[in-house]
Amino acid sequence: MKEKKYQILEHTADIGIKVKGKDLKELFKNAAVAMFDIIVEKKPENTQNGLDSKKIFIRQEAQNSEELFINWLNELLSLSAAKEMIFEDFQINKLDEENLIAQVRGVDTNKYKVNTEIKAATYHGLKIEKGSTGWQAEVIFDV
Amino acid sequence: MAESWSGTLEKIDNYRWRISKSYKPGMRVPGIIYADEKLLKDIRQDKAAEQVANVAFLPGIVHASLAMPDIHWGYGFSIGGVAATDIEAGGVISPAGVGYDINCGVRLLKTNFKYDEIKDKIKGLVYVLFSDIPSGVGSKGDIRVSEREEREILVKGAEWAVKRGYGCQEDLDNTEESGAMQGADPSAVSERAYERGKAQSGTLGSGNHFLEVQVIDQLYDRDICDELQLTLGQITIMIHSGSRGLGYQVCDDYTKSMIRCLQKYNINVPDRQLACAPVNSPEAKSYLGAMKCAANYAWANRQCLTHLTRLVFEKVFNRSWHKMDMHLIYDVAHNIAKIEKYVIGSKEKKLCVHRKGATRSFGPGQPGLPERYKKIGQPVIIPGDMGRNSYLLVGTQKAMDETFGSTCHGAGRVKSRSAAIKSINMNLLMKELESKGITVKSSGRGTIAEEAPLAYKDVNQVVDVVHNAGISKRVCRMRPLGVIKG
Repeated sequence: MKEKKYQILEHTADIGIKVKGKDLKELFKNAAVAMFDIIVEKKPENTQNGLDSKKIFIRQEAQNSEELFINWLNELLSLSAAKEMIFEDFQINKLDEENLIAQVRGVDTNKYKVNTEIKAATYHGLKIEKGSTGWQAEVIFDV
Repeated sequence: MAESWSGTLEKIDNYRWRISKSYKPGMRVPGIIYADEKLLKDIRQDKAAEQVANVAFLPGIVHASLAMPDIHWGYGFSIGGVAATDIEAGGVISPAGVGYDINCGVRLLKTNFKYDEIKDKIKGLVYVLFSDIPSGVGSKGDIRVSEREEREILVKGAEWAVKRGYGCQEDLDNTEESGAMQGADPSAVSERAYERGKAQSGTLGSGNHFLEVQVIDQLYDRDICDELQLTLGQITIMIHSGSRGLGYQVCDDYTKSMIRCLQKYNINVPDRQLACAPVNSPEAKSYLGAMKCAANYAWANRQCLTHLTRLVFEKVFNRSWHKMDMHLIYDVAHNIAKIEKYVIGSKEKKLCVHRKGATRSFGPGQPGLPERYKKIGQPVIIPGDMGRNSYLLVGTQKAMDETFGSTCHGAGRVKSRSAAIKSINMNLLMKELESKGITVKSSGRGTIAEEAPLAYKDVNQVVDVVHNAGISKRVCRMRPLGVIKG
């Protein structure tokens, strides 16, 4: 069985995730996947045909990779709410300590069954570490 | 399971426990937790007490980093935390001390119905409330506004709604800050925040937000009940909601900018989420201007929800809301920062009081209270979980002396959402609620399990502590009959 890219962490009021990636790009991608997995209860069938989806470009700057990680997740949440879209297919084109350029696919929120509202990704208890087999992060969402 | 906290708590009296200033180097004041021995066991189950100690690092903090008996683990501040900073002494404001849902709060409406008169109609009433009041994640309302009007909402708050015909002057008189904080600055609110707030006026939202039909099942202070015209068996309505996406975006925008301030103003805090800036700095002034906008948006929102509720009652009972006596008892914010004056030592000081999951509890005679409540003190509304009670309390002088006029805000969680979902059998839960005569309607499947009674502390215990500690006084207790949740 394929190893799960993330696991849910227990937190009294909120929801946390522990996420893995072979490199920083994959770590950012998997965190975004986990976040929208929490938000969405049921996906529509055949979102892959791309008919009703829209490509969105995301550019973020920060002073270090931890801030960049939080900014990336919060920008996705914020855009998702403002544009009323759920995001999939996270492609990270450029990523260093301070800059991120990515492209994501947005599908109308009405096509999904949404269960959980995430208000934001927080710095509380935030960890991003490089281990022998890749990267790992822990982040707590305010729900 | 979350890691527990095993630090030392010194007993001050039966209801107060101190975390010594020496617990962690960098604490400027001690921490004080309001709790009894039983609640302390719950409180020690997670890291909330550590967060009480962390808040004591904030520059300018006076007296103590306080925690109410419903505290639980949050981010930066614990939920249930109160901290006041001395503005002239470089005191800071932290968006984490307010939270993402700025002016999340609760209001209580009365009616002249007795339980026995309408007990057979409650189920039907709850279904109509559920269908007519938009709820759920990202829910949008029928009350649509232009961008110009949205700016007006941010400045005028609940008054905007009343001017549109969604309520009356008395509603504003009985709302904290009369439903609008002065000094709101719409130019400090980002375009994205506007965008997120646009379609959400008059929507309940999701998670722990709710609208509840209740019955008064216990009177504690008959004089005050008489004054408020509340009696046993009377039907009340409680609305719990906040500033929705607009508030989250304001908090996010300013947490981001205040992280820069930690370095700029040489502030040492043990958790970056406690990002803050001196209240007198341009960054803080801008945050306060935006925070007030979000707070006003929330008051407008609760006023719109009140209007929708009154319309539903008019539809179901076929008479005007005035005839049903659906007056607002009061509306309180429980996620907010306010500039208030207190005597510290022998000097009056201007403080920035953060109430994060804590309710204002002003005692009798305080300026800022409506005339009709000057004698009894400010009504304090404490929602419980969907299977247990809610309370009406009033503020006290002791709260003014000890807690910067603050008290608890609810039951406080003990179980994480995922743990609640795992351990709860939905069929059993629904049967149990039904056997208690409680109808629940929710738009999210998981919400009911996440918000199940066993995920919360017993609100009765929490209220016992604030009453016995004297920081608010019990007036009456309500029991839920019908609940709609996001």
